[in-house]
Amino acid sequence: MKQSYRYEQTSCRLRIDGLPDLSASQADDAIGILMGWELDLIGRPSLEGKRNHLEALLTVVLPYARHLVSGVPRPFGADGSPVQIEPLVNGEQSRHRLRLFSSQPDTPPLEFDFDDAELADLVRCLDQLRLDPRVQLGFVIPAEVPLQRREILERVPLRRRLLSPAAGLAALVITSSLSLMLPLPKPAAPQGEAKPAATSAPTTPQAPAAP
Amino acid sequence: MADAPLTESRSPSRLNRRGLERLDLMLLSVEALDLNGGEAMVFMAQQLGFGDLFPNRVELWKRRCYNPLRLACRRGELSETETDALISVLCALAERIYPMLRQLLSSSEPDVVSIQRWELFRQRLDELVRERLNPRRGGVQKLLDPEEGARHRLQLVQGLALGAGAGGFDRLKASLMDAAA
Repeated sequence: MKQSYRYEQTSCRLRIDGLPDLSASQADDAIGILMGWELDLIGRPSLEGKRNHLEALLTVVLPYARHLVSGVPRPFGADGSPVQIEPLVNGEQSRHRLRLFSSQPDTPPLEFDFDDAELADLVRCLDQLRLDPRVQLGFVIPAEVPLQRREILERVPLRRRLLSPAAGLAALVITSSLSLMLPLPKPAAPQGEAKPAATSAPTTPQAPAAP
Repeated sequence: MADAPLTESRSPSRLNRRGLERLDLMLLSVEALDLNGGEAMVFMAQQLGFGDLFPNRVELWKRRCYNPLRLACRRGELSETETDALISVLCALAERIYPMLRQLLSSSEPDVVSIQRWELFRQRLDELVRERLNPRRGGVQKLLDPEEGARHRLQLVQGLALGAGAGGFDRLKASLMDAAA
């Protein structure tokens, strides 16, 4: 029997239709075979697609949100992926451009610019779908993992990153230069000796006389 | 018999200093947005089944004092159970105030209203920061800086909005465990 589930937020509504996969012993209220999905975004045309489009939406938007929480937004969605997303820097407000490629030839991609609130609504809808135990579509979504140091460093400007080592190097050079300018201390003359030259001569044991 | 290690290695699932800072700053942001945030934290902890860990505000405050930016800072690390409980409470609180977070982040709100909301949030957060955090620390000075502070506040609100609800727990926890830059 056909099942239909809806996930709603203020500016976003996602509906999926499907059937339980009885060969995999799924419950009657589960969706294991996706028949279709529809995403309604306020003020934008309704989106529909196939299973691979929905999976691409999940695997692109959720990792993007993960990086945004860490403050290092970056584009997601490789060339050829039906969904791509990238950050747009527009003054103080941050925006996000979602690009959807149709599987129909000669069809230009759809572009939507989201503000942070609309992106959060979309992410929450996708979270609800991802965590719904009735939806058993077997999507492979990247796990949420901590970012590596090199990924974090990208958000620190190069000038600031180089500032500390440059300051340390400059301090080392200045200290070395100053220490080279200091005069070397002269060796102190031993007390009670009138002729230091005589005392400085090394004393060598005399060779034994030849028989 | 093999020699025992001199120092216990740090569990990779524990939050580092920066993670503890961000976690406490996000809880401070919730308090700045919700005037009853302090009470709501204890109530939410009990609702989520963390009544044993955080039976009252003092116990909650003691855990939050592991933030190195605090005036009354405690040394050491929180256990994974404690940090998970704090993150769960934070996600539940963010879910509760999500409509306010959304209003702050939405570009469809009138500019005048949006500016007033951000200004009110800034005032309340600055008051809490001055009251509880050490003003000599660089991180606190950045937060209070008129230019850099705005970017930090936006990041905090973005993090709360994307970490709201059950789906946000893993995202937020992974973000708090990021490697130190």
